[in-house]
Amino acid sequence: MIKYIAKRIVQFIPVFLGVTLILFVLQNVVPGDPIKLIAGEKKLDEQTEISLRAAYHLIETDENGEPVFDENGNTIETPMWKRYIQYITGLLHGDLGRSYQQNGKPVAEILAEKYPYTIKLALVAIVIESIIGIAAGMISAIKRYSAWDIGVTTVTSALVAMPAFWFGMLQQLFWGIFLKNVTGGAFYLPISGAGGPHAEFQDWAYYMLPALTLAAVSTAYTARIMRSQLLEVLNQDYIRTARAKGLSRKAVIFRHALKNALIPVVTYIGMDFGGMLAGAILTETVFNWPGVGFETYRAITQRDWPIVLGSVTVIVVVVMVINLVVDVSYAFLDPRIRFDGSKSE
Amino acid sequence: MKETNTNNFDVAEASEEARTGSGSVRPSRTLWGDAWQRLKRNKLAVIAAIWIIFIVIVAVSADLWVPQHFGSPTEIDSASMKDMSRLPPSPEHPFGTDTLGRDVLCRVIYGARISLSVGVLATAISTIIGLIAGALAAYNGGWWDTLIMRTADIFLAFPYTLFVIAMLAVIGPGIQNVFIAIGVLGWPSIARVFRSAILSVKENDYVDAARAMGASDARIIVRHIFPNSVASVVVYATMNIGGAILTESALSFLGMGVVPPNPSWGIMIQDGQTYLATEPWLMIMPGIAILTTVLAFTLLGDGLRDALDVKMKDA
Repeated sequence: MIKYIAKRIVQFIPVFLGVTLILFVLQNVVPGDPIKLIAGEKKLDEQTEISLRAAYHLIETDENGEPVFDENGNTIETPMWKRYIQYITGLLHGDLGRSYQQNGKPVAEILAEKYPYTIKLALVAIVIESIIGIAAGMISAIKRYSAWDIGVTTVTSALVAMPAFWFGMLQQLFWGIFLKNVTGGAFYLPISGAGGPHAEFQDWAYYMLPALTLAAVSTAYTARIMRSQLLEVLNQDYIRTARAKGLSRKAVIFRHALKNALIPVVTYIGMDFGGMLAGAILTETVFNWPGVGFETYRAITQRDWPIVLGSVTVIVVVVMVINLVVDVSYAFLDPRIRFDGSKSE
Repeated sequence: MKETNTNNFDVAEASEEARTGSGSVRPSRTLWGDAWQRLKRNKLAVIAAIWIIFIVIVAVSADLWVPQHFGSPTEIDSASMKDMSRLPPSPEHPFGTDTLGRDVLCRVIYGARISLSVGVLATAISTIIGLIAGALAAYNGGWWDTLIMRTADIFLAFPYTLFVIAMLAVIGPGIQNVFIAIGVLGWPSIARVFRSAILSVKENDYVDAARAMGASDARIIVRHIFPNSVASVVVYATMNIGGAILTESALSFLGMGVVPPNPSWGIMIQDGQTYLATEPWLMIMPGIAILTTVLAFTLLGDGLRDALDVKMKDA
């Protein structure tokens, strides 16, 4: 077991380096001079430009962060590999660079402001996903081929096949607009933003639609996995034995079958939580939710590359760590697991 | 995700196959022939296939009949724009009109061209790269395998949508770039599927036999391994088309995919977002188009999986 965990962590390192390398290359092949992006329309004098280049590590600097000049008095451009090393070193120290806009605010600080919103939304979504997904899948499996089962299969297929942002807009249309009109404004759910007059985000109603949207596709998958797992477990010999010794169907399902069927479901939900922390760009954009996803989207449209690079890096690392944790705990939960790792989906 | 039903048909067919001897003696009863027989009995898959064929025909033939009835999908008639703006659905305009006075049905039809071409071309790119990478990894093994599969792991470590968005942010929007981004980033899953399919086929005696007879590596791959391991790739690629269509719509919705005035379904939904409260059909119609098309590819993929008897889950 310890060997397995060690192996997974060792595997993690090249993947991490590869991921950051790809991100770094992506950022550096973007057309356009970063200084022009920082300055925008403003015209910079030479002195400011040089100090900006030094501040963003685009040119060589000495220990005090002062620019270094060659014999002709020109600045020396930092080679790509050196910038990559600087970037990785910074990353390991929690330094993600500085935004091209927002007065050069550190990216780590910006992300720290946005992440709580994404995490809270993801938590609500995971609760919805677990409750509805597991319940729907269970009933589907227990009442196989019933109208309920067919209904669940149909709904889950449809949810998986529609764009998440479109589903979100349908929710806005129904809960926000249709219900408001029908009840004369007595009951409806807010369709955008992050809550309350002071955006202090205490109002539970603001979570409902974004969380529902974020959870939709995953709930469908959870229900499907739950259904197929439970059906598979119910076919096992030990279930027949339990029934044969006189246990009621209910007792068999809840005491024997469910525990085993839940393992892959819990794994899926765990991985999915990692995915949700990736900041749902689409959901957050549709609902103007001030999380990491929306911030990344905003940064892309405004070419604020350090934020894009920083947030994608953090997201990828978070997802990778959560997957690692899930994989390892899966190994703990399920003694039958073989340690060759690969798993479909 | 749906479990494969081992129904009576399969059993009957298997025993029939056993009676008549192996398929290679009678070329008329190949794996694909069997699969076709089974696929025809799957009602959902047949409906899905018919729907896909219908969309393809409508999209391909659009230039012949759509402009006469519904006008151009992109051009704006500035003279009549004001009177034509955001009309509700009516017999003349079954899906209504958009803000710039263009017929929504017309744009949905032309949008099918974009979605289908992205779905098919991006999947083709992913499949070709994935097939080559998977074949190299599985057939050569050793450090080839390690290198290719570790690279695949790196690609798969990214949240997919975010990766495509980041890629497009760098190479810029536009339909060609959408093909490239979705296509290039989609290869690792196909490489994995193909690799494991090859690994299981490679162990068969007929591969050893071919090698003993002096067949070259290329010949063994092309003539023996490929035909026997491609079924899972066909299933995966079919489902992937639906996924690519969804991704394209998301990219266009965010303004990073197809560029206006081209009628992408994602762009139409984004346009409709502003008028959600007053003219909801602007976003409902293209959404239904995405839903039905993606669903059709998924159901067809499910049907093919059952028909070709491909195991997609680890059970």
